[in-house]
Amino acid sequence: MGSIDSLYDKVKRYLLGFNRGKAYSSSMSGYMSGELQTLVFIMVLAAFFRLFTIPLGIVLVIGVVAAFLYFTPIIVAMERENSSDLNRVLFWVVIYFAVIMAITLWGL
Amino acid sequence: MTETVTNLWSIPLLLIIPILTAIVVNFLYGKVKAIRVVAILSSLALFAIAVISPYGYHWFTGQPAVLLNGGYTYSVQIFAWRLSLELYFGYMQQIMIAVMSLLLIFVVAISTKVMSKNMGTYIGLIFLIYMSSAAIIMVNDFYHLWIAVEIGSLLVAGLVAASGESISQKAALKYTFFSAISGAGLAIALALILGITGYPNVSDAIVSMHINNIQGMQGILYVAFGFLVLSWIYAGGLAPIHPLKSDVYGASFPHATVMLQTQSKLMLVAIGLIILRVFGTLPFAKEVMLGISVITMMVGVVMALLQTDFRWTLAYLIISHSGLVTVGISLGTISGIIGGMFQAINDVLYMSILLLCCEAIYYYGKGTSIKSVSGMAKKAPWLAFAAVVGAFAASGIPPFNGFQSEIILIQASLASGLPEVAVVILMVSVTTFIALFKSIYCIFLKADSTPETEQAQSRQGSIPVPKVLYLSLGVLIVLVVLIGVYPQLATDFLNDAAIKVVSMPWVP
Repeated sequence: MGSIDSLYDKVKRYLLGFNRGKAYSSSMSGYMSGELQTLVFIMVLAAFFRLFTIPLGIVLVIGVVAAFLYFTPIIVAMERENSSDLNRVLFWVVIYFAVIMAITLWGL
Repeated sequence: MTETVTNLWSIPLLLIIPILTAIVVNFLYGKVKAIRVVAILSSLALFAIAVISPYGYHWFTGQPAVLLNGGYTYSVQIFAWRLSLELYFGYMQQIMIAVMSLLLIFVVAISTKVMSKNMGTYIGLIFLIYMSSAAIIMVNDFYHLWIAVEIGSLLVAGLVAASGESISQKAALKYTFFSAISGAGLAIALALILGITGYPNVSDAIVSMHINNIQGMQGILYVAFGFLVLSWIYAGGLAPIHPLKSDVYGASFPHATVMLQTQSKLMLVAIGLIILRVFGTLPFAKEVMLGISVITMMVGVVMALLQTDFRWTLAYLIISHSGLVTVGISLGTISGIIGGMFQAINDVLYMSILLLCCEAIYYYGKGTSIKSVSGMAKKAPWLAFAAVVGAFAASGIPPFNGFQSEIILIQASLASGLPEVAVVILMVSVTTFIALFKSIYCIFLKADSTPETEQAQSRQGSIPVPKVLYLSLGVLIVLVVLIGVYPQLATDFLNDAAIKVVSMPWVP
């Protein structure tokens, strides 16, 4: 049995996913714009990988769109990850540093 | 080169005057008028020195220079004797320090007017922040680089904590904690470079890497690069350390944030140029810097969209626009570097306008949240005008200065074969406009719907906006328009530094 959700239901659920509360607030427009901006930014970032090989860029852009549709709305998760808690910042710094070292040592 | 080795008189003055002022105002502590006079006179003196100073070096110790053929020379000429520990004052340093000195005058004049508690210490910290920023932009050796970054980080924490709120002290504590990691990382990076090349001087280290076969040591160089990038990220507030830096910006008084963001931009330029000079030829180094810059732009501007407090919107936009500065530098081309440095100057000017507007809104007694403040255009029309001009400049709308630097950055990205970067820069501009005008609409243009009784209460809690704040806004608006119409007023100072980085990185 497939989903019986109509497109309307999917769009409604998507919009309500931004705020668990009233469906309007002074930050609502920000969340909506932020979601769209993030999608485009991540697609552009994925396209960057064409610098290594063009097929990689194409695959990543398609992968990003698919992942985005699955995980949306991602702005809430992004806001949560943006916390200034030291443990969270340190976690991202370690990841970051590992990526930097991996990419640069790859250049050897 | 026939210039002889002489110490430039202005370089020590640019560092010693702020230190002496900090000591004196600390002793004066609660004597408000005396502190105000000393601080304003000092900042005026620093501005005058930055404007009239000739160009040159100040050196602390020297050694025979390493030549590109691997030999040494003992001729007493400026590029024959390498200035081991040295500070350099050139065109780029002049305009950056002059702009910072101008902002220092405004910040000191405003803070001595509105602060009442711990004024001596507070003003002292502002002057020390100036000193650390001036040092880092003039530095050409690794020892001074490390010291300036370390001192600068601790001073940032001090200034934020001095704002007195619990949120400020929390932000300062977190920032200080991370400074231990970043400072140690920077020290490791410098030790590795010193170990490979044997020279603490940046120019000498670059020459040494050019003339010696260091193929087998590239792994060590990459580790040094990684740690140096970590300190660059930390000092400038790039992603993923941006939440700590945005806390710092958002939790301090907006006038203090003017100095904090100026320090960050100068650090980004100074450390970025050193990374580019030393590691620019390593494969993937520029790509890593570019990636960090683009992510910072993206995360900063998206988080700015989500904020409902003008202070925090500005805090995240400062982060995002730091990415604009580093994008230009990371491109590594002459036009890219000019665009990055020009963006740094423009950014501190238009963000200062917005931060001072935010400070003025704060004086009206209802905070800076878009949920609690409205109808400000009626109460303060000139403030609304200044905020709109600042927002236009930040969004890259002509004829304001932000347009000129962003167009250079976009052209540099396209010329480097990176249209994606140009797209991201355009998106940041548009999103900056949306984020700022959301706040400006709610705070200035939306009708004040609060009951009359509450309005009367808030009027009682407000303090008068000092005239010097309006004067500062006026001067900054003139500068923003002037540089927007005549960009060569700033870019003429930046060409020399950009050409040196690309064509002869061993010359500071």
